[in-house]
Order: sequence, then C-alpha cells, then structure tokens
Amino acid sequence: MKLCEFIRPASLAAARDALRELGPKGMVLAGGTALHFMQDHTPVTAVDITRLGLSYIRADEGGYRIGATTPLSEIQRYRAPRWALHEICRCIATHQIRNISTIGGNIARVFPWADLPVALLAMGADMTIYGEHAGMLGADEYFASQPAKRFLGGDLLTEVRVPALRAGQGVGMVKVAWTSAAFSMVTVAARLDLEGDEIRSARVAAGAAIPFPRRLAAAEAALAGKAATEETFRAAAEAGGAEADWRGREGMSAEYSRHLAETAVFDALARAAKWARGRSE
Amino acid sequence: MMKDERYPKEVTFSLNGELKTFATSADEKLLTLLRREGYRGTKYGCGQGTCGSCTVLLDGKAVYACLLYSMQAEGREVRTIESVGTLDKPGEFQQELIDGGAVQCGYCIPGMVMSATALMESEKEFPDDVVKEYMDGNLCRCTGYEKIWAALQRVLERRRAKEG
Repeated sequence: MKLCEFIRPASLAAARDALRELGPKGMVLAGGTALHFMQDHTPVTAVDITRLGLSYIRADEGGYRIGATTPLSEIQRYRAPRWALHEICRCIATHQIRNISTIGGNIARVFPWADLPVALLAMGADMTIYGEHAGMLGADEYFASQPAKRFLGGDLLTEVRVPALRAGQGVGMVKVAWTSAAFSMVTVAARLDLEGDEIRSARVAAGAAIPFPRRLAAAEAALAGKAATEETFRAAAEAGGAEADWRGREGMSAEYSRHLAETAVFDALARAAKWARGRSE
Repeated sequence: MMKDERYPKEVTFSLNGELKTFATSADEKLLTLLRREGYRGTKYGCGQGTCGSCTVLLDGKAVYACLLYSMQAEGREVRTIESVGTLDKPGEFQQELIDGGAVQCGYCIPGMVMSATALMESEKEFPDDVVKEYMDGNLCRCTGYEKIWAALQRVLERRRAKEG
C-alpha cells in the first residue's frame, strides 16, 4: 500500500468524517502491519486511529470488552477468570508483531489465514460498529462475508465483546503452522457446553485451509446431545472434514489439508472438554 | 536549508533519550528513516517483519522498524541498538555474546539484543517459555541459536541471583 498522506484525527467522529470524505482514498491505520503487504499501490491517506482511547480490556457482566486497537500482546498477557483469548493470541506471528498488530486490524479485513476470526466465531463474540450503521453484530453475521465491505463508507469497528465462559463451558484452539511465526495451515477453535458428560451445545469454527473462516455446522450437529467422548469427537471431526472445501497448498495436497483439519478439530474438542470439566484458569 | 521535497512531513519523537524532529514522508518506514539519519545499527534484513534484525523499542516494547511507518512514532519513545552499548563499552548481553563466541555474521545481533532488552526491562522472572516468547521474532541463520541462548542465560542468571 502506498501512503501519500498521514493524518491523526482527534476523535472517533473526526476519523469517521475523514474516512467518509476520503472514500476509497482513505485507509484506516491501527497497527498498520497488514498495510505493508497489500498489493494495491493506489496512493491512500492513512487515518491513524490508535490515539482515540480504543486500547483496553475491561471485564463487564458476563464478558470482556476489548477495544479495537488493543495490541495482540495485551490480549495474550491478560489473565482473568473464564477468559480464553490469550491462548490463540500467543500463536499469532511473533513477539514484535503482537506488540503492534491489533484485534481490530485482524478482523476488520479478514485475510484467509487469520486466526482470530476462527476463535471469535467459536466463542460467539460480538462486534461493535461506530458510524452510519452503528450497532452490535454477532460473529456469525459479522464473518458471513468479508467484513472490510462494511467499512467502505467510513464506519469503524470499535470494540469486540467476548463472553466469559460459564461453568461447564470450555474452549479449545489449535493452530497448525510450520513454525511458531508462520501463517496458519489450518486453525480450528471449538467451544463445548457440557452438562455432566453430555454435550449440550457446541460451536466449532475453522480457517486458513478454506477460502474464508466459517463454522462447521455438521461437526456441531455431530456433537450436540452426545456424550463427550473421543468417539464422538472423532465422528465430529470426520463430519467437519466432509463439509468444507479444504484447499491444498505448496507441498500439501487438499486431502492432507483435510486430514490436518480433522486432527485439529479432534484436538480442539479434546482441549475444550478438558477445560469444561474443570480447568479453572 | 532547502526543504527536501521527498520528505514533506515532520515527525517528532524521543530517540535514545533525546527529543528529535525529522523530515519524513507518509510512506517512509521507521527503519528507512533511522538508517538515513545514521542509526545504522538497526539492520535491514527481510523488510517484511520476519527476521527481526530491524528490532527497536517503541515505548519499551520490541517492534519491527520495517513494519512501522515513521509517522506512527510521533510523540513516542524509540530506542535503537546505539542506546545499548558501543564498541568500547558493550552492554552486558553484548559482552556475553562476544565472550561466548555467539556471533558469526552478526547481522541478527542488534535485533536480538533489543528483544532481550525488552525482556529484561519488562519482566521480573525469566522462565524459558517467557524468554522464548520475547525472542521468537528474531532469526539467526548462522549459529543455530545455542550460544546466543547460553549468553542470554548467563545474563539472566545474574539477574535472578540479584533478585533472589
């Protein structure tokens, strides 16, 4: 991306007005790390939103509110009861990038390999939009298609709300990559809601080996109402493997991608069940 | 002085403890600005946020100067390898790297030292998983990391002894 101008609006309203006026010649800048890789070289004006008080994590009733420009490293280091997002953030990129890259930047424009959309889909997060179409969107609606389209008119993502896990709930997240810093080959996140050994409900989401992050509805259906056993998890993993269009990549066939995804679904479910059964951290 | 029209913008930040104003452009990377201004200790390696040789501290946190626009540093505190030690007076970790024969081509070392500086200034305890987390964004293609790790551990050992 080629920057021809760089502005620092003094308020959210000023940022929205500037973006509305600039139209396609404006570009929101939070951490800015993704901008260096965007192949479009049309000159744009960077609108820096990192000084507008949107960097915070606050516990509120039943959940955690995370400001859109909160760096991934802050989320990774945050600890609180029934909080789960630190695990996936530790697996994203490197220390230096986590210090700069923000949660909002990670999900305002979704790259196919992004990990956070997968985690937020599984956890049932809500996204707050500021501007003309202000409001709160659930993860399913927000990630139904490329979110960047929502922000073309100057609207801004301001906050992500992640529900705290209730008793009996657990989350498991798995990212498969060549090295700790590499982009994901497949990322899976699962949330299980257990009552004793029975699975009351499940949310399973995947990303990276498919064109866009999504929930795996067939895997979820194979879990609901069943006993939380390895056999159930294996059946759910197979169902998940069958329902998505897994893509191969250099040195990796589509079949292998699917195999990796099924293994990741199984592992994520096993971790989620372990958590639901009493991990307290 | 004639204004250089390649650099129509201005950015002011604290650099190694001194408040400075630089001419820059909206598109200039912090790394390019630093090297242009003579701070050559910060290396250009991959230029895409992978190798870590351009690591500097921004408000005490390790960041890649190649993935940061210079304008993002406005009003912040930037520290480069030049603030850590000199040829005559190397910093503590730098001396351990020398003594341990941990440096081969040396290109990655300024970045390694900056990441280690962030680690030592931010943390009170240094378990391996925390040390690895701070150092995971710095690649060395010569040494296989063993001697770098050992040199860092000798420094951390002394910190632990002091704390204990």
